[in-house]
Amino acid sequence: MPNITYITPDEETVTIQSDEPNLMKAAKLECVEGIDGNCGGVCSCATCHVHVHPDWMEKVGPPGDIELTLLELEDDFDETSRLCCQIPLTPELDGIVVRVADR
Amino acid sequence: MISTPDPFREARETSLTLPVDVNGETIPLLLRMQDIRKACKNTGDFSSANPFHITLEPETRVRSYRQFPIESDPPEHTDYRAIVEPLFRRPEQPAYAARIEELVRRAVTAALEAGELEVVRDFALPLQSRALTLLLGLPESEAETWISWGVHVFHDGDGGQKGKVLEAYTAAQFERAAREPGEDFFSVLNQARFQGRPLSFEEKQGFANLAFAGGRDTVIGTVTRIFAEAANDPKLLPGIRATPDLADSAVEEIVRITTPLTAISRTCPHDTAVQKAGGRIGLCWASANREERFFPEPDRFQADRNPNPHVGFGFGPHNCLGAPHARLLLRTLFRILAEQDVTLRIQTQELQFEQLGTVTRPNGFQRLRIKITKQL
Ligand code: HEM
Ligand code: FES
Repeated sequence: MPNITYITPDEETVTIQSDEPNLMKAAKLECVEGIDGNCGGVCSCATCHVHVHPDWMEKVGPPGDIELTLLELEDDFDETSRLCCQIPLTPELDGIVVRVADR
Repeated sequence: MISTPDPFREARETSLTLPVDVNGETIPLLLRMQDIRKACKNTGDFSSANPFHITLEPETRVRSYRQFPIESDPPEHTDYRAIVEPLFRRPEQPAYAARIEELVRRAVTAALEAGELEVVRDFALPLQSRALTLLLGLPESEAETWISWGVHVFHDGDGGQKGKVLEAYTAAQFERAAREPGEDFFSVLNQARFQGRPLSFEEKQGFANLAFAGGRDTVIGTVTRIFAEAANDPKLLPGIRATPDLADSAVEEIVRITTPLTAISRTCPHDTAVQKAGGRIGLCWASANREERFFPEPDRFQADRNPNPHVGFGFGPHNCLGAPHARLLLRTLFRILAEQDVTLRIQTQELQFEQLGTVTRPNGFQRLRIKITKQL
């Protein structure tokens, strides 16, 4: 199972192991502060906004067109922004670090 | 197939707005997703702080109180909303989910015993009312009064009388809560402080009014649509039975395809590209939710649609406070219907239509009579 590290807006570091289908569900299961995942992961609510650590950006890839239309309206948007329900949890992401966006 | 075509398509593909006439007032409706989302975030140009005018059809006749937090703008809105936010987030607690599950299970069992029912009045209205008692922290018996009010709080075929009944009821609840304070919605508002002072009676009534109006037709419409879609596609419930997570995306799709709140309005304090100072615009959620660029095959219900970036619950600072409750209720209904392995058959159906200026939009069912049986 891949390891994921979330850094919350209060600078708390949470590392978990998960076999959930995506980074939002993995965070929800562990109640990671700041990831609400209200819409259940269909790219509608933007309550799962994270900044992917730059070292991991290439593996994760950029947001899709539809995801980007939501992200670009978020206050804390930058080039590392992703809605983490749209990041499938694959073995290649073992060790990934993301910072939960400030809302 | 349940056909609820999109009456905004042609206008949306050719122009930015569709002007509709509401009692002689011309209101341009924003039709496109990204324009609507941007307007939601731009509360300076598109204000909600116009009492009785948050709906396209002004509500001066059907209520006497400005609704909160919806008819206000940030920064005041942020403080008003914070008063009730913890209460509206109770649905995230496991104990709350267990109680909703118990309610839904009882309703489905009763439906199975009846074998045949009219979903809108015999299932959706009572379930919506009983579920609302949980959200507001009141005894379940209160629901009987609300059920007796009918499907719409303000208008169920009478000329605004319903509004008075609701206002008298909520006023009595605030008095009751003052005598015997508890954890319920009315007690929370009695004890609340807004910017260092207690809320006025008018403000409290405005909060209460919205809590009853906002979650009624919307929940009834989506609950009913679940039955319609499940009857229409015999593979839907077995699919959820096999993969319970499918209930989550199916609910978002129910909210998108139904979009029970068609449009909401904003007022322009100064000139904008789409409206002059003092005029109003409409945010047409129903149109944005069928935009092909965001939703391939937009008129089709697809339970596993993802991404599904709908704005059925609104967007930005005023996004629906009742959404956690509504989502929980609808997801639980899907799961229990799936788990009980029911078969649904539509006997008769009568769509309901809504008029926006010259546009006619199908919105929910007037009646949906079904047969419900358990597979052996
Ligand atoms: C499927 C069901 C529902 C739908 C589709 C829905 C839709 C919406 C929409 C589109 C808005 C945004 C309004 C705006 O931008 O001005 C909204 C706001 C709101 N809704 Fe809902 N709603 C639903 C259920 C509920 C329930 C169950 C309640 C409470 C009992 C509720 C209470 C509210 C409140 C209080 C607001 C105002 C929030 C604010 O101004 O900050 N809604 N709803
Ligand atoms: S969980 Fe709603 S957008 Fe990701």
